[in-house]
Amino acid sequence: MRKLKKLMAAALIFTMGAAVITGCGSQKEDKDKKNNNTETTIDISDVKLVNDGVLTVGAEMSYPPFEDIAEDGTTPVGFDVDIATEVADRLGLEVKFINTAWDGIFAAIDKNYDCVCSAVTITPQRKEEMIFSTPYIKNYQSVVVLKDSDLEISSFNDLEGKTIAVQKETTSDILMSDYKSTGTINVEIVANEKIPNCFTQLENKEIDAVVCDSSVADSFLNRNKDKYRLEFQDDSEAEEFAIAIGMENQALQTAINEALEDMEEEGVIKEIFDHWFVTEE
Amino acid sequence: MADNYEYILETEHVSKKFGSLEVLKDINLKVKKGEVICIIGPSGAGKSTYLRSLNQLEKITSGKIFIKGDLFLHREKNKTVERIGKEHQQKLLLNMGMCFQRFNLFPHKTVIENVMISPIHVKKINKKTARDEAIALLESVGLAEKADQYPNRLSGGQQQRVAIARALAMKPEIMLFDEPTSALDPELVGEVLKVMQNLAKEGMTMLCVTHEMGFAREVADRVLFMADGIIAEEGTPQQIFNNPQNPRTQNFLKSILNA
Amino acid sequence: MNTLKKITDIKNWKKSTKINAAIFVLVLIAVVILAAVKPSEEMMIGRASPEMQKLIEKDAQSTRKYVTVTYNNMIIINFCSFSSSGANEMTERFVGFAGKVYSADKGKAKVVGQMVNYTYRMLGCGENVMHGAKLTILLTTLTIIIGVVLGIFLALGKISKKKLINKFCGGYIFFFRGTPLLIQLFVIYFSIPGIFGFAWRDLFSAGDTEAVYKGAFIAALIAFSLNSGAYCAEIVRAAIQSIDRGQYEAAKALGMNYPQTMSLIIIPQSIRRMIPPVCNEFIMVLKDASLVFAISLVDITTVSKNIMTSEGSYLVFVPALIIYLIITMFFTFIFNKIENRFSVYE
Repeated sequence: MRKLKKLMAAALIFTMGAAVITGCGSQKEDKDKKNNNTETTIDISDVKLVNDGVLTVGAEMSYPPFEDIAEDGTTPVGFDVDIATEVADRLGLEVKFINTAWDGIFAAIDKNYDCVCSAVTITPQRKEEMIFSTPYIKNYQSVVVLKDSDLEISSFNDLEGKTIAVQKETTSDILMSDYKSTGTINVEIVANEKIPNCFTQLENKEIDAVVCDSSVADSFLNRNKDKYRLEFQDDSEAEEFAIAIGMENQALQTAINEALEDMEEEGVIKEIFDHWFVTEE
Repeated sequence: MADNYEYILETEHVSKKFGSLEVLKDINLKVKKGEVICIIGPSGAGKSTYLRSLNQLEKITSGKIFIKGDLFLHREKNKTVERIGKEHQQKLLLNMGMCFQRFNLFPHKTVIENVMISPIHVKKINKKTARDEAIALLESVGLAEKADQYPNRLSGGQQQRVAIARALAMKPEIMLFDEPTSALDPELVGEVLKVMQNLAKEGMTMLCVTHEMGFAREVADRVLFMADGIIAEEGTPQQIFNNPQNPRTQNFLKSILNA
Repeated sequence: MNTLKKITDIKNWKKSTKINAAIFVLVLIAVVILAAVKPSEEMMIGRASPEMQKLIEKDAQSTRKYVTVTYNNMIIINFCSFSSSGANEMTERFVGFAGKVYSADKGKAKVVGQMVNYTYRMLGCGENVMHGAKLTILLTTLTIIIGVVLGIFLALGKISKKKLINKFCGGYIFFFRGTPLLIQLFVIYFSIPGIFGFAWRDLFSAGDTEAVYKGAFIAALIAFSLNSGAYCAEIVRAAIQSIDRGQYEAAKALGMNYPQTMSLIIIPQSIRRMIPPVCNEFIMVLKDASLVFAISLVDITTVSKNIMTSEGSYLVFVPALIIYLIITMFFTFIFNKIENRFSVYE
């Protein structure tokens, strides 16, 4: 009879599981409201796309405010998402985002998606493997410390002897590791998988400062004005974010650049930037 | 297969080496149909190895084995010299049934399944017939009521009787027993020996490695005394037990009977 | 048929079984009632504040959306939220339960709302099959089934006396156990199509917008199965070699050939010994399933990590743990069943 008991337990779990899966049937909001306000003027006839009529964009959807998944678990939101959506619209294409891990994100260009729009910094090494659109945002390396910290930093050299956190494999990581390995600055680096972990460590005083992109810093500061302050921003070296495109796909590069240019002229990029990074007081 | 053979089992110059150690040295034996042969001797004499090499559980180094006058195996210097067709060899092999010291029943099959499995899968007999035959065999060893039990629920003696029934299910003409009672509690030995005795009475050719001297004396037509890989002495039970010639046989029997 | 009779024969049920059955029925009735009286979707959506309504209306006109409307229906409880994006984000959350709608912006209701939402997302509701719990379960189950079958053949190959087969299987096992699964996944997903000039998505029709995910799933399944096959091979080999030599000898003495000996005698006996380590392997695969995010597939772990990043709420790991535990519980139960089935003779 123990068998029966177990059987019933299994049946219970199974029916509940099944009910959950069927019970929560698709309730997605209708995202296909096609918008035909913008007249397509950009010629994309010789652009090769992974899916016809769709601009498929790869991104790692956990880098707010650049890209993130909304609470419904499906809708991509963020600065990059808006930029890519606007670009696609101007090319007369629908947009589709593919959420993928940062590791190997570039390997799947032209395989799974046409381009990567995921806070990608232009670097000389990357230029050998892919081509970039014109940059759509400029970023600076910033140092964030606790609000009541007595650290005074006017250049990266002031981080001498301190412990900092960075997000793994980001430009901040590469930059600071360079400083350390060349012996320029003796700094202890903690590399985290995700940026929020860096800030948690800062809050717990396990580290002295977080080094990250200025836009990321801005958004964290915005939300936690009473916790952190921006101590230093390296204005000398701007870092440029652009859309990464497959080596062979110059036609797409040209088309995207045209769209970005139009957006710049019409002030759309600024509008999106303000929406994501400037708080109304 | 022709039935006009003189000996049902014949070995010529059977030898076996493990590296430089010679376990069997040039053993020759001729067995007539219906003969019951008991092999006795000290441990390490090669009794089991010899018995197991008859149905190829051990590979011999050299020698010939004939079954019913047909060449079953011919090896020289660790190589098979005469290739015998696999099917023919298999047919000859099936003339021998074997019982092991540790029974080796299939624990995941019931008693009756143990008895039926080989006729069904090897001889391709239909299930119904196999089942009827199996029940008859189990009855003959006195275990019909245990047919649907798993072997682990049976006593050692019962398991060995099932093992005998299982071997008999293939209708062999020669039965090989490899110390069938050594692993049994003393009070269970009798039931197994009785089954074997009945088998002998029915005219089964039997080769039996055993330590049961009483059984050998009573049932055997011929007793072989093996020591150091050779048949040191052979003869009728009376000759061997009452009047052993070889000093080694004398020593062995003395040590056993005094124990 | 007998089991069915046993089950339908209610009168002869044990007392504890009867109690369990009664509880089960009561819970079921409660669920049905609660599900029937829970607030409807329209009712929940209607609760958005006027400001939010305005934003939603604005969205309808433009390409870029600023408000995400979330509606999660979890049998007995509803969750609904409106969140506007950007630096000045606004969020309104509601929980619907037992005919009433509660505001879930703070306090207990907030936690309840978050739990519903997180669970919903982790289960991969309203998504294609290759998402969340559905992906995890599908990938893990198929991997283990294919892995065990492959493992049996590889193990037989490795203990085979034929040199070529033996070397091949040994090499295979060495290779897949000696390299990380993530790298194998990359090789199968990226390198192999690159070398042979095809894409995994080509396996499905060009118009299929889910083709990318389906292709990735096939590649992941191949990589996981090949890898798991190597681990299972060692498990199977150990199990086979733990069977007493006497079993082989008895089978041989009865005239069985090698395939018969293996399939009738040895493998059925080794299955029971394989189950516990295979169960471990299953749990390993369950955990490793999060690696597939590298090729754009999102499993439970990835969903929970993403939620953690975007909302910073550590609560998310509670439903994740529960979901994992339920999956493990269910499969451990199945493994136990199989083990019992193969050990009736003990």
